[in-house]
Amino acid sequence: MKDLIEAGIGILIAFIFYTILGKISPSLLLIFNFFILVVLYFAMAKGEVFSACLGTICGLIQDSFSLGIFGVSGLTLTLVGYLGGFISKKINVVPLKRTFLFLFLMASFELLLWSGLYILIFSEMVNSGKGLLFFQPLSSAFLGSLLFPFLRKIKGVKV
Amino acid sequence: MPLFLKEKRKPLLLMVLVFFHLILISLQVPLGEKQTVFEKVIFSIFSPLQHGITGFFRGIGNVWTNHIYLHNVQSQNQKLYRELFSLRQENSWLRNALRKLSEVKEIQQNLSKISPTFLVASVIGVDPNNIYKSIIIGKGFAGGIKKNMVVLDKYGNLVGRVISPIASNEARVQLITDTDSGVSALIPGEKAIGVLSGDGQGECSLKYVLTSEPDISEGEEILTSGFDGIYPSGLRIGKIFSVAKNVSLFKKIKAKPYFEFNELTQVAILPLEIKENSKETFR
Repeated sequence: MKDLIEAGIGILIAFIFYTILGKISPSLLLIFNFFILVVLYFAMAKGEVFSACLGTICGLIQDSFSLGIFGVSGLTLTLVGYLGGFISKKINVVPLKRTFLFLFLMASFELLLWSGLYILIFSEMVNSGKGLLFFQPLSSAFLGSLLFPFLRKIKGVKV
Repeated sequence: MPLFLKEKRKPLLLMVLVFFHLILISLQVPLGEKQTVFEKVIFSIFSPLQHGITGFFRGIGNVWTNHIYLHNVQSQNQKLYRELFSLRQENSWLRNALRKLSEVKEIQQNLSKISPTFLVASVIGVDPNNIYKSIIIGKGFAGGIKKNMVVLDKYGNLVGRVISPIASNEARVQLITDTDSGVSALIPGEKAIGVLSGDGQGECSLKYVLTSEPDISEGEEILTSGFDGIYPSGLRIGKIFSVAKNVSLFKKIKAKPYFEFNELTQVAILPLEIKENSKETFR
């Protein structure tokens, strides 16, 4: 139950940031994706099953505010959640440098997968916002590397 | 539970989730913009939340501006801004109406039919997957919003149209910059009629204009023609910035919409009655 509440709070925070960033400048939504951070945080903390389900929820929320095919982000975040949980169980990704690399690779994978599906389904190029979209993996890795140790410290998890 | 299933529980769950998404996606592909009930439910649950968050942060901003920063000037400014917004819409609408009418008598008869009562809504969200596809506005069916209502910016330039899902206090607007949008458009002076659609990158293309049509130059204005039955005629869309000739049977015309995406904080929505009136007026 505690895990579900934490996940719910995580989704809510990601949603708040998504709304605020959209109001400040829509271009910021291309650089920052808080939903993937929530999914990957729980992938590292709770494993692949929990994060795959969370990925489904986060992705579908993202899709419901987007015009087009409902389920594309849901699918990509589900796969990233599962893969993230699986990898973080096999390899220790808690040290800072590893966290950065792990988040960067996972976010890049998600972006690649999402772009591929988008091109395949919509038969059009992804709006990269003059290249801003390609900074998303880097910004996710940077933000996650800053936030995750801080969150672990708050929760009192020993690294 | 059999041992086999216990061991393969996690990959099986992943397969179930992936299968669920694939079914969900494949169900929609032939439907285009139609929404599933599931999507409508999620939108209806989260859009009031988004509305609340926007309202909350706007409220905090208002506390700052109203109580700390020149209270009276601010409220007066807001009142004038609202008036200016309505007057701009009215002005734009009347100018478009006048452009179409030639005789004074006709003008007097028809102006009495046009009494625009625009609905005003604030923009509360943008499309997370492609910002040039759609926006979410803070007014829904409770505020009189209906499907296919035309949405304009504060200067009366065309922004898009209302599409489903429409929640009680929120609605989605398809932008003219979306690749799936289509607006029947013309270049004044009987130069050309075509279909304007977006490129998903913030710009538009005017399609199906034959190369045999009169010369079209950069900087020319594009207006709605009204032939699509959704957008009334005479609304300002944008300006042409490139024309490629002799490419194929059709000219390759690129246009920049007048509306500024980053300035879309408030929009005006044309009630359906105005559209009906305009059909009679401009026919």
